[in-house]
Amino acid sequence: MMEKLSPFHVGILVYMSQIGIIVFTLPRQLADYFGTNGWLVLLPGLLLTSFNIYLITLVHRLGGGKSVFEIMERSVPKAVLYPVYLGLCSVWLLFGCMIGKKYVLLFQMLAFPTTNPMVFKMALDVLLFLLLIKGIFTISKVATFFFWMTFWMYFIFLWFLPSFNWVRLTPFILQGGHDQIKGAFDLYSAYLGYELSILLFPYMDKSKKSLAAIYAGNAFLSLVYICLSLICFGFFSFGQLKKLLFPLLDMLAYIQFPFVERLENMLYGFFLFLILITAAMYWWGAMEAMRRMIPKLKIPVMAFLLTVISYCISYIPKTLDQVNNWILHLGYAVTGIAFGLPVLLIALLLLQGRRVSRV
Amino acid sequence: MYRRLSAVLLMLLLTGCSSDQRILEKLGLVQTASYDLAENHQLKTTYSIPVIDPESSERRLLLTAVTDSLKEARVRLSKQIDLRLVSGQLRSVLFGSELAKEGLADHIDTLLRDPSIALGVQVAIVDGDAGKLLSKPFKPNKDTGTYVNHLLEKESSSDAIPPTTLYAFTREYHDDGIDPIAPIVKDEGNRAGISGIAFFQDDRFVMKIPAKDGIIFALLRGDIKQGELSAKLGERNGRKVVVMFSSMLNKRKVSVQHLGDNRFKFIIANSIQGSVLEYTGHGDLSQSKKRHELEGDVAEYIRDKAQEMVRQLQQNNVDSIGIGQYVRNSLTYKAWKSLDWRKVYPGVEVECRVKVTIKDYGKYM
Repeated sequence: MMEKLSPFHVGILVYMSQIGIIVFTLPRQLADYFGTNGWLVLLPGLLLTSFNIYLITLVHRLGGGKSVFEIMERSVPKAVLYPVYLGLCSVWLLFGCMIGKKYVLLFQMLAFPTTNPMVFKMALDVLLFLLLIKGIFTISKVATFFFWMTFWMYFIFLWFLPSFNWVRLTPFILQGGHDQIKGAFDLYSAYLGYELSILLFPYMDKSKKSLAAIYAGNAFLSLVYICLSLICFGFFSFGQLKKLLFPLLDMLAYIQFPFVERLENMLYGFFLFLILITAAMYWWGAMEAMRRMIPKLKIPVMAFLLTVISYCISYIPKTLDQVNNWILHLGYAVTGIAFGLPVLLIALLLLQGRRVSRV
Repeated sequence: MYRRLSAVLLMLLLTGCSSDQRILEKLGLVQTASYDLAENHQLKTTYSIPVIDPESSERRLLLTAVTDSLKEARVRLSKQIDLRLVSGQLRSVLFGSELAKEGLADHIDTLLRDPSIALGVQVAIVDGDAGKLLSKPFKPNKDTGTYVNHLLEKESSSDAIPPTTLYAFTREYHDDGIDPIAPIVKDEGNRAGISGIAFFQDDRFVMKIPAKDGIIFALLRGDIKQGELSAKLGERNGRKVVVMFSSMLNKRKVSVQHLGDNRFKFIIANSIQGSVLEYTGHGDLSQSKKRHELEGDVAEYIRDKAQEMVRQLQQNNVDSIGIGQYVRNSLTYKAWKSLDWRKVYPGVEVECRVKVTIKDYGKYM
């Protein structure tokens, strides 16, 4: 019998693929786009993502847990599907790749200002390649391991409570922001990652618990985001928060222990685990799409090819701003896929169901 | 095979970081930096760098340069020594009072932009020339930078002065309805000491209060967990009656009343608890009536002092207590934005209410 992902692992995998590089900038973006108490926007964000997950669970229910590729291939000719697969593959591959590159550029700014970032990027890609060739079950186990390795970091929030002051939160709700619609689109990428659960159907058991785990992973992520942002709004003043490019980095740098000062470089290292899983999941998604097109190619060869392609592309954006731009636009595409793919699949499944009932 | 291959590859990658390797012996770790206003609007920068070599008789290295900007000074200073200057271990920055009067925003901005400088760096104002103070040795301390840093940490931990870091300074500078503060360090001949608190209007040093009044300011500003206050309550037989209030706990409550026409009344209610460890008056503290009388006297003393301090702050138009934050939170966003707080603040009616409770009076009748 084939190994199945347990609901717990599914939940962790969803959470770990969601939490990523945006966590460093999220509180500032909330303050900048949505103004005072911008953290409140995370609540509708949770509702919207939950609705999207509902669409995904609907695909699971209607399709009986079948692979999404099978569902598509049953109704749509391959000639039409191949460009779709290619699109999915490239968007997911590049999104994962740019998340990795941004982490590397930040790391370089903090600790190794004159080292070529592509050296770090290669180290990251080697690790990703090693994860990728092992398949989703190993990725899931590694994600769980990394989750427990980074779990203690939530307790860091407690450090900031003595400097937290409710007065700084102000009673104003979402005042002083700008471009809220653009902001909503930009910030939606903070949640992205849950949509990859649609690819997990063949690997998880068909119980309702597995589907509930997707909701749970997303809810846990929202809770982490809300806690982080709320603390940032009360720890920093509103004007200060809008000025800090990476508020989380400043918070980490604020921590001092009597025996060691300046912990942020070490703490920043721990975020690598979160970035690795996010990037690995997107690359795994890309590889799943690619495998439908070239099923005969061996997995290690395919993983190698994808790694090399993405490494070469990651040479193009050189500055942090350029990488942000790439992430922004790829984020729009990934958001489109997150909503579009389940809707398309539901439509196909309803059509297939009608055809079956007619027969 | 993949594993071995990648292990080799990863090891090779490590060589890529050689340009950023940091060997402790080759680094000049700037621990304290001071900035002063020089002639022609230039900046005088002084760095204090601890000497790591155990065989050296010197404990610190001092570097000074006059330049147009903070970072230019770093470039210039790094040419003066055989070490690579890094700011990752910066603990405190001292600004000369003349520079502080001109405004610190640009200099603080430069410090914050540098990823190697943390928000926890202590900020202090020096009464006079900061570079001169940093250069002067104060026996038995061989390194004035470390000495001043410890002094600031110790004083702020006991609520005698508010803890002021880059984080706190910028937090208040960028917030609506509150102004930043910083401790003042002064050369007092054979030692350096905290002489007071500097109050800023936006980023400009405008007024100061003496260090002995620091505790009154702390009571106005928020809750405190420990503190000491010595109150002088008149005279008895030609000698001053002094009460030493120790282990003070303060709970502060504030409220804002709208008097209409952009006029506000701000009420600060302090509930203070503490132990009396010195009392030179004639009352018998074991009698609850006498104790209550003393509580009333101390409360009146604190209230008068606090009221006087608020008046000074309003006169100089600096809102270091953060009255504006509470007024802001009592208004709608639109009303707050249309309010010119700097104009309104001096006219705000401020009432200090103080309740003092003597928890205990030591172990002597």
